[in-house]
Amino acid sequence: MDFGLSQDQSMFQQSLRGYLAERVPMQRVRSVMESASGHDGALLGQLAEQGVTGILVPAGFGGSGLGLLDAAIAAEELGRAATPFSFHSAAVMAPLLLAAAPDSALRGEWLERIAAGRALVSVVTGLPAVEGGKLRGVQRFSPDGAVADAYLVAAGSGAATQLYLLPRSCSGIDVTPLSTVDATRRVAEVKFDVALDASMKLDVADAASVLDRALDAGRVALAADALGAAERSLEMAIQYALTREQFGRLIGSFQAVKHMCAEVFAEVEPVRSLLWYAAFAWDEKRDDAAAMAALVKSHGTEVATEATTTCIQVYGGMGFTYECDMQIWFKRAGYDRQMLGGPTALRERAAELVLRT
Amino acid sequence: MDLNYGPEYQQFRQEVRAFLDAHKDTAPNVLVGFGEGALSMRSWQKTLVEHGYACRTVPREYGGFGARPDLLKNIIIDEEFRRAGISRGMTNQGISMFVPTLLQYGTEEQKRRYIGPTIRGELIWCQGYSEPGAGSDLASLRTSAILDGDEFVLNGHKIWTSTAREAQMMFALVRTEPDAPKHKGISYMVLDVKSPGLTIRPLVMMTGHAGFNEVFFDNVRVPRENLIGQRGQGWEVGKATLIHERNMLGAADHTEDTLGRLIEVMRDYGVIDDPVLRDRLMKLAARVHAMRCHSLRMLTDRLKKRPDAAALITKLNGCQLNHDLCKLAIDAMQQDGILRRGSQYVRDEGSWQNEYMFQLGLIIGGGTAQIQKNIISEIGLGMPREPRPAAATPTASRGA
Repeated sequence: MDFGLSQDQSMFQQSLRGYLAERVPMQRVRSVMESASGHDGALLGQLAEQGVTGILVPAGFGGSGLGLLDAAIAAEELGRAATPFSFHSAAVMAPLLLAAAPDSALRGEWLERIAAGRALVSVVTGLPAVEGGKLRGVQRFSPDGAVADAYLVAAGSGAATQLYLLPRSCSGIDVTPLSTVDATRRVAEVKFDVALDASMKLDVADAASVLDRALDAGRVALAADALGAAERSLEMAIQYALTREQFGRLIGSFQAVKHMCAEVFAEVEPVRSLLWYAAFAWDEKRDDAAAMAALVKSHGTEVATEATTTCIQVYGGMGFTYECDMQIWFKRAGYDRQMLGGPTALRERAAELVLRT
Repeated sequence: MDLNYGPEYQQFRQEVRAFLDAHKDTAPNVLVGFGEGALSMRSWQKTLVEHGYACRTVPREYGGFGARPDLLKNIIIDEEFRRAGISRGMTNQGISMFVPTLLQYGTEEQKRRYIGPTIRGELIWCQGYSEPGAGSDLASLRTSAILDGDEFVLNGHKIWTSTAREAQMMFALVRTEPDAPKHKGISYMVLDVKSPGLTIRPLVMMTGHAGFNEVFFDNVRVPRENLIGQRGQGWEVGKATLIHERNMLGAADHTEDTLGRLIEVMRDYGVIDDPVLRDRLMKLAARVHAMRCHSLRMLTDRLKKRPDAAALITKLNGCQLNHDLCKLAIDAMQQDGILRRGSQYVRDEGSWQNEYMFQLGLIIGGGTAQIQKNIISEIGLGMPREPRPAAATPTASRGA
């Protein structure tokens, strides 16, 4: 019985935390937030060096071939540091979908580029089925869509689901950046009107279930990001409460403030436990993996929005300012909550999985 | 991450199963506690102690099984007994709280005298800690114990005393040093519940059940040798017991079963497809699974002797979760949700309504939710204590 992170996993977590604190400090995050593109050209290579982009890329393609629990650790750290990178799409769903297509010509090249930090792949789902060799359709929420090097597209539904990899350079892709609340991870509307050639298709057996599993993995990664945002907010709030004085006392000595922090802690820690299990269940292909992914994403992101909201209030008026970093995790948790299915939709998904007998 | 117990534990699990199989016809198959069925419960308790399935780690010289402490074996016993629906024996404050305290602080003579009969269920205990004026601030307790010759003379008033009417003995915190600072003036002692001057009044809970009592001391004489630990050491001795109590409350082991029964209620009342109730159900499911995973994480921490502040949340979250599960079941029943035990049409003998109220008591008892939040923020998060006004020494003369 060993429920939790291994020594290697804890070391990876500590080392990534230290790296991000030093190399991707809040000044750098803010300059990306305030830039037009929301893109930090050097960051991808740095994350690759830390093993972040290749964490799920098979070892034969320059990755480390680790599991979703390892990826969740990375996601939590990226959330803590508010790192401007759409990890759940570019480093979780994209490599998982590519790896599932062993016979495709594009697979090896793009997996290697992801692991090496030389390509940003945006996963775009929900497009209509391809007709007459043409992919036509619009998806509004392409992560990093404006700067992506390629789009990994899921078109059609159910048994007709097909996956394609479209390099940015192919004609018939029209991208419009959208302005979003969380400026650390941008999205763009992408219009496809592309005449496909055979090399673009990813030959995946049972693409619908492969996509389902990749979406579950993406949800776990978003839940982990939200956990990181929540725990960082709480640490910042406690730190502030232990320095700020009012009425001649540290505000952290007032029960009203202490209880806010205690409530956040009491909600956040079981989310961590559930997250570890959900990632483990996914890695082990347990029967409850899909339901746990839905539950940890819905519950974890709701806890994170409550946590960041409460922690901003511990900061008082300062917490409401743009200058104070607390707003960054609030917005980060907001993105995590809405993407790949909001809490209510995912609870319905969980209900269907749990209650079907 | 590894959720397996390992081969040596597989072997142990087989032993437990063989035992349960051999005793399935004689074992009580529900937790009956006291009252009717207590006799067979007592003989079952003896069987369990003999085979090491109750009080496993109590040393043999005091009547226990003398096993090495092993958390996983305890959990396997729990799992297998629950799966078989067989009682784990007597659960009372004597066994779960007094015996561990006595093992730590008692004299050899005290251990030999009390432990054997207690774990065999022959000697029932009640706990005399809280007072009307000393709840969350337990250390302000005022029941006085003044030494007179070789006896202490007790005067005062205890409250929330479970099982006082069934018990032969009480372990109590009393004030023996009225002039000492409040935490230093308390002693831990045991006394005979039938002592002259001791009266008991049942205290009826909102459920209608008299689960508690008030106990009044009017010049109750207690032999000096009934002290456990030193005079003035009672706070330290008593606190060891309270930590044990808190870990018992809010344990996650039954919540998954409760969730399963809740789903049955929702199906039977035809509301399983109601989108709002389904959403509430899945919110609770997430919390149930989170607490189940959390308890496995805490177990791992204990196995590795790794302290984790996240252990402090168990009571706060667990009791609230149990309460919320019952609340949804009652809502699922719609108007039937107002029926109580004994009524026609009532579901599951009114246990959802009863448990809904009882869990509210557990949110308060054993350290209120607010006290839990103080503990979490102070011990877990390193936040300062509320500054205290200059302490006045409480004395018995102020009355109870």
